Amino acid sequence: MAPSATVTRSLAELGEVRRMAGEAGRPDLVARLDEIRDRLTAVDVPVAVVGEFKQGKSTLINALLRTEVCPADADVVTAVPTIVRFGTPPSVTAYVADDGETPTTVAVPFEQVRDFVAERRCGPGVRTVEVRLDRKLLRTGMSLIDTPGVGGLDSAHGNLTLGMLPMARAALFVTDAAQELTEPELEFLRRIVRGCPSVVCVVTKTDLHAHWRRIVDLNRRHLARAGLDLPMPAVSSFLRLHAGATGDDALNEESGFPELLRVLAAEVLAGADAATAAATDRDVAFVLSQLREQVAVERTVARRPEAAEELAERLAEKAQRSRRLATGSASWQVALSDGIQDLAVRVDQDLRERLRSMQRRGEELIELGDPKDTRADFEAWAAKEATSVAVDNLFTLVARADDLAKEVAERFDIEYEGLDVDLPGHDTGLASVRAPRWREEKTASRFLGAFTSARLAAGGVVVAHAAGSLLGTAFLGPVGAVAGLLIGRRLMNVERVRQIEHRRQLARQELRRYVDEVGFVVGNDSRDAVRRAQRHLRDEFTARALLAEKSSTQALSAVRRAGAAPAAQRQSQVRDLDARWRDLDRAGDRLTRSGGDT
Amino acid sequence: MTGSVAERVRALLLLAGRDIADPGARSVLAAALRRLDEPLRVAIAGKVKAGKSTLLNAMVGEELAPTDAGECTRIVTWYRDGPAYRVVVRLTGGAAEQRPFDRRSGALRVDLGHRAEDVDRLDVEVPSRRLREHTLVDTPGLASISADVSVRTLAFLGADEEHTAQADAVVYLLRHMHSTDIRFLEAFGGDDLARGSPVNAVGVLSRADEIGGCRPDAMRTAAAVAARYQADDRLRRLCPIIVPVAGLLGAAGATLREEDFRTLQAVAAAPTADVVASLLTADRFVGARPVAGLSEAARARVLDRLGLFGVRLGVQLIRDGTAPSADAMAHELTVRSGLNRLLEILATQFIGRSEVLKARSALATLDAVLRDGRHDAGDDLAARAEQIRAGAHEFVEIRLLHLVSSGRLAGEPERLAEMERLLGGSGAGPAARLAQPAGAPAEALLEEAGRTLARWRRIAEHPLTGREMRTAARAAVRTCEGLLEDLRRPAPGR
Repeated sequence: MAPSATVTRSLAELGEVRRMAGEAGRPDLVARLDEIRDRLTAVDVPVAVVGEFKQGKSTLINALLRTEVCPADADVVTAVPTIVRFGTPPSVTAYVADDGETPTTVAVPFEQVRDFVAERRCGPGVRTVEVRLDRKLLRTGMSLIDTPGVGGLDSAHGNLTLGMLPMARAALFVTDAAQELTEPELEFLRRIVRGCPSVVCVVTKTDLHAHWRRIVDLNRRHLARAGLDLPMPAVSSFLRLHAGATGDDALNEESGFPELLRVLAAEVLAGADAATAAATDRDVAFVLSQLREQVAVERTVARRPEAAEELAERLAEKAQRSRRLATGSASWQVALSDGIQDLAVRVDQDLRERLRSMQRRGEELIELGDPKDTRADFEAWAAKEATSVAVDNLFTLVARADDLAKEVAERFDIEYEGLDVDLPGHDTGLASVRAPRWREEKTASRFLGAFTSARLAAGGVVVAHAAGSLLGTAFLGPVGAVAGLLIGRRLMNVERVRQIEHRRQLARQELRRYVDEVGFVVGNDSRDAVRRAQRHLRDEFTARALLAEKSSTQALSAVRRAGAAPAAQRQSQVRDLDARWRDLDRAGDRLTRSGGDT
Repeated sequence: MTGSVAERVRALLLLAGRDIADPGARSVLAAALRRLDEPLRVAIAGKVKAGKSTLLNAMVGEELAPTDAGECTRIVTWYRDGPAYRVVVRLTGGAAEQRPFDRRSGALRVDLGHRAEDVDRLDVEVPSRRLREHTLVDTPGLASISADVSVRTLAFLGADEEHTAQADAVVYLLRHMHSTDIRFLEAFGGDDLARGSPVNAVGVLSRADEIGGCRPDAMRTAAAVAARYQADDRLRRLCPIIVPVAGLLGAAGATLREEDFRTLQAVAAAPTADVVASLLTADRFVGARPVAGLSEAARARVLDRLGLFGVRLGVQLIRDGTAPSADAMAHELTVRSGLNRLLEILATQFIGRSEVLKARSALATLDAVLRDGRHDAGDDLAARAEQIRAGAHEFVEIRLLHLVSSGRLAGEPERLAEMERLLGGSGAGPAARLAQPAGAPAEALLEEAGRTLARWRRIAEHPLTGREMRTAARAAVRTCEGLLEDLRRPAPGR
């Protein structure tokens, strides 16, 4: 996979700092940077392609990749999410799982993809299909997720798609030029904007509708009224595929795809790269600050050996305090455990309220008619509501976990600031060094890098149901599990019961049982997710505390060594340390500048 | 009791008009009475942008209702036969006012003179043979409201089968949608204006030409989709027949002008490569690049009127010699639009039964009047209405048909299918009811009616037949007897 310029720049920076950490004798910092680098290069940019039934989602992906990878048909509809990502040699894997089991993988020959994703053809257990292809667009790390059009946006399937969105880096919302945006489409857009960092609204089938420009215009007005500001490229997948087949560049230009690709590069890829690079830069900056402190102390001692004793005292104290920062009594730790408890309670409350409301509305619906007649639609309604409960609860969880991470980072930041060692004054050498700007970034966001990038990194993995890191399994977990629950089991027998009131009674019982089951599944999963979030935050900040402690002890021994060194050696040391200081300074400046760009 | 059901209902309404003093109720009843003599009212209902106005134009065969790429129809508009073009605005307060209009661009552009919110409906009179049998009502599209719509729709249908509605029958327009879509049945969520039941509703899979990217086989794909819908249990209960119609094609077929045909001819006459290139996309066809020496305006006009599918089809029809003239082209477009089939269904399902449907609407109106107010003669009138409902075999038939078509009568599928047909589910004529080819000789029909009668009599008298089926079978027997009687009576004029 070819990394983009932004990522390349971040990687170079990281390599430079890693070299300096090695020279400073800090294998712990080197290891830390290696972790960060792995995360940076593993970045995957999942883009979910969503929209109403028959708007041309699969064809759009085919046209983007100029290959017939997703089966597209006039009538038959995609029923299983398909993820298309980079890989050589090309391969297709189906993830098959029967209820509640861990998925097994099945290799699928290319010509049989249709049998695994198309409605009425795919088996019941197929969860996702993963296609690996070697295309230029995919080399950027972008992967495209074709979502099912079954059931429309306002259904259990639509909710499953929504539940996937927090993992996706972007969403392409597809609507065709036959008609302006409808109210359900706008509602769905409002919801995906909440759950996904970057949304592009694509108007398709411009080849068929002479008035597509009017439609685009009307759509823009609808979006403006809804308070949404989204790019809206208009494309003809047919033209792009036709251009590919005939090798006609003018046709490709006319298809509108170059503009879509430009939007994808500018809004999605660059955005994703910038976000990851910024997170990486923050992490690198932390490592850099550790190195600077050590060099600063050594430099002070080399110039003014008489201050060694005083410095040693302070550093010893700092090392002790850093150790405390890593223990449970640190205030950020307290904030974390309090916050997690609070989070768990609130998420649970949120779930209960949603379930109660669902139960109430369900009972009203049962009262309206004869369950015998409305059974199928009632089941669809219940599945839709249940998955909606799961998704909304998940969104609540994600938003609150984000808030908590910020709060903990702030606490950590305050305590960490308190560790700063005041170097003895009157040091001309130090005073001449201007305080790098990045140290002024006091906001907690500098510690949030890891959290954000972990979420991003979780993306691709989770779609494939392979594993879940952090909130990972929660993303698809509960929603997927809820979609698997059935309300119909006993309603199926209801026809035999003769009296309508009795049928309603049974339906109500069934609804209650169903709501309980949904509550159980979603509750369990969100509790797991809360635990994972707690563990992740704790590990992340503890690691930093330990690094800080290590820096202090390292500085302490350096101070002791320097104090004992002969004067001649000290002179060359000063020169060496000045050089390193300047290196660190330059690295810091570069990080700040690129930080300003993003 | 004697006389047709329409006569009996008319007599009852007259009686009610005499007995009820409340002026408001009297005027409602007077309107209901007038309505018995008017053509059947057929409402065209469906979601926004389903193509209602386009279909209406196709059905009337004239460009009347304005159509647009954006949402367009916002006021309920009635199109009825009249001596001359005339537009009357009816305000919510009850006042009516004739308003000027122009037809420069073909469709009627009415100068409302009032705010749209204050207008109850527009009455458009059109001198048209096609509006003689039925009045068409164009409705603003239903917007999506909430997701439990389909549950409510079904629940509502189970609850009451007869209700007040301004329309006697409804054509529902469905867009290509997935049947598990929770909003799938939204098109049926009508209001008092248009509310159908299996006996007076027909479904249309609209904009059929756009299904599957306007490829040549679009209509075949649309037919497959419509067939699948028709097999859907829930849909069958709402409207038992669903046909694909390409409204734009139908409207073009009905209103094709010589100049449009010449435009198509010019395109078709170009070298094949040019034809293919210019028909690749809508933009290319109307764009600045010259196509067969035609003006941009001429091309835009023909694309607007036929759609991309229509233009492609038209050019192909000229090139393969199927449509050598404007008349032949108009005919071909109409045939391929599926419009004929819809009109045929309307004729057999609605017009053939219009007396009963209108009587049904009139009784529902009377019910509403009696329910709303305290009237001295209320109980007596209600009893008489009930008598007609229970006694008139036409009503018994239609109720039973409703029961069978909505799948609420238990029984063997074949037997139910036969009963549905016998009750007039696929046409009210004797041949259709007896599953005989149209135009079968009277002797053959008589013979078949006799056999059918015997069969249903056996079912009605069989000791193991359930109570519900026994009642239904008795009604079927009565229908057979009626058929026999009609067939034996020498047809007037024959």
